[in-house]
Amino acid sequence: MTNGPLGKNQMFNRRSLLAAALAGATLGGITASTPALAQTESLVDEVVERGVLRVGVGNFVPWVFRSKTGEIIGFEVDVATRLAEDMGVEVEFVPTVWDGMIPALLAGNFDVIISGMSLRPDRMLRVNFTLPYASSGNMLGASVARMPGETSIEAFNSRDVTIAAVRGSTAASAVQAQLPDARLIQFDAEADVLQEVLNGNADAYVAAVPKPGTDAATFPEQIYLPVRETFQGTLEGFAIRKGDPDSLNYFNGWILMNEANGFLQERWQYWFTTRDWADQLPG
Amino acid sequence: MLQKPVLGRLTVLDLVLVVLLLAAALWVWWRVETRLVYNWNWGIIPGYFLFFDEETGRWQSNLLLQGLVTTLRMTLWASLLALVVGTLLAIARISAWPSLRWLSRTYVELVRNIPPLIFIFIFYFFLSGPITELLGIADWARGLEGWQRSVVTVLFGPTNLFANFITGTICLALFEAAYVAEIVRAGIDNIAKGQWEASKALGLNRRQTLRLVILPQAVRRILPPLTGQLISLVKDSSIVSLISVQELTFSGQQISVATRKVFEIWLTVAALYFVVCFALSLLSRHLERRFGRAGH
Repeated sequence: MTNGPLGKNQMFNRRSLLAAALAGATLGGITASTPALAQTESLVDEVVERGVLRVGVGNFVPWVFRSKTGEIIGFEVDVATRLAEDMGVEVEFVPTVWDGMIPALLAGNFDVIISGMSLRPDRMLRVNFTLPYASSGNMLGASVARMPGETSIEAFNSRDVTIAAVRGSTAASAVQAQLPDARLIQFDAEADVLQEVLNGNADAYVAAVPKPGTDAATFPEQIYLPVRETFQGTLEGFAIRKGDPDSLNYFNGWILMNEANGFLQERWQYWFTTRDWADQLPG
Repeated sequence: MLQKPVLGRLTVLDLVLVVLLLAAALWVWWRVETRLVYNWNWGIIPGYFLFFDEETGRWQSNLLLQGLVTTLRMTLWASLLALVVGTLLAIARISAWPSLRWLSRTYVELVRNIPPLIFIFIFYFFLSGPITELLGIADWARGLEGWQRSVVTVLFGPTNLFANFITGTICLALFEAAYVAEIVRAGIDNIAKGQWEASKALGLNRRQTLRLVILPQAVRRILPPLTGQLISLVKDSSIVSLISVQELTFSGQQISVATRKVFEIWLTVAALYFVVCFALSLLSRHLERRFGRAGH
């Protein structure tokens, strides 16, 4: 039997040494990795070195969505693919839940958000935005059954009105800002927002253009547009982690160039004003 | 266990119950038909499992099948990891060294008393980023070639999603490990004290007693609750869709946004989870019967 007091003591010492070493390694590891996230080397350098640009994308038609064969397609995909081509690297899309987009960027899960993210003061406190590469706005689609024949936005600013929007989207903040009296209900996915109105559980919904317009065309008996104007204009930019002016400068230059040569406008026209891509979705 | 025939003695009460259930189902169906404005289109679903690629002339798997496979892969690895970590935690709980006991107890209580969703967020944003960065597994997986790439793909899925998959798996495993630890500890506690004393009398030390006497007996008792926990792990795995792990629920979300066929997709996803879990519970019932309830 080795379980005498001496044996136990030796065991204790060996174990506690091991525990201390492990704790030290873990702590050291976390602090050592923090500077990497804070960008000592510029992101663009890192991407070129790695040979892969990792792009965080959400899920909004026609910005970025899945085709019937499961591929990621949309306006953003064209933009990011061209950007990667110009950098001479591969592009890799990281589909991410919209709510977790900025935290995932900060955690280093991808290099840049290119996903129709609008510039917003609260977001700009946490990430750096590039110059806008697209602009859009939100529109209000209303239920024919519950609120027929309205022609002004003001009619929807009432305590009796329920409005649906995607959680954390500019549409949701547009409702809070411009229709403060209405009751706002929020969903994680765009499809659920429309369904809530179709089911008669909400009077109206707010979403980024062109969705309300195409919805009104798809469901003319149920959805109409009370006003044609966009609800609240927004500007979309790439978002990267703070503290990296070199990369910000690279992306800004790229956007200015591709605005001047018409690439961005041409792609925007294709995805937002035509339905030529509709055959990539199932029946 | 005595099995009663299914249609043994039907009483009036049974009939009333069946009629009420049918009426409720009819009412729900009627509500859906008349009140719900929705164009059902089940035709889109099969293509999201498999589709024929005209270009390559081959059948390709699509999001739902890929998601299901990812869920099954993740469940497999997470169960194994949870089993190992859970058993270690349980053994630490009965350790002679107090710090180890407290550490294990703290972990188990902490994890069991916070909602899974919060645990996953905390793990993901505070721990997984630094850990995967530190280990460099994303770049390692991306750089693989040839047979190594094939092996990793078969075991863990596409290499570009490797870090994503590993994060989800570890997260799920660490969460489930707390429950496994409780099950194993209860199994060990259930073995009569006399066995420990008898082993000591025979000159076995603590470790030998545990390995040769206690654990073999405990395994039989903890098997049924453990398989139950495994089944709930399959269902719990849907939570990691919130940290963007590309499993079944996440795939369902992606397709539902693109197609707007919300109901068809979620009903299909629910059916898939049901089939997997139900098959597992039938299997566990079979095993339980086979290994018998000897010793009880």
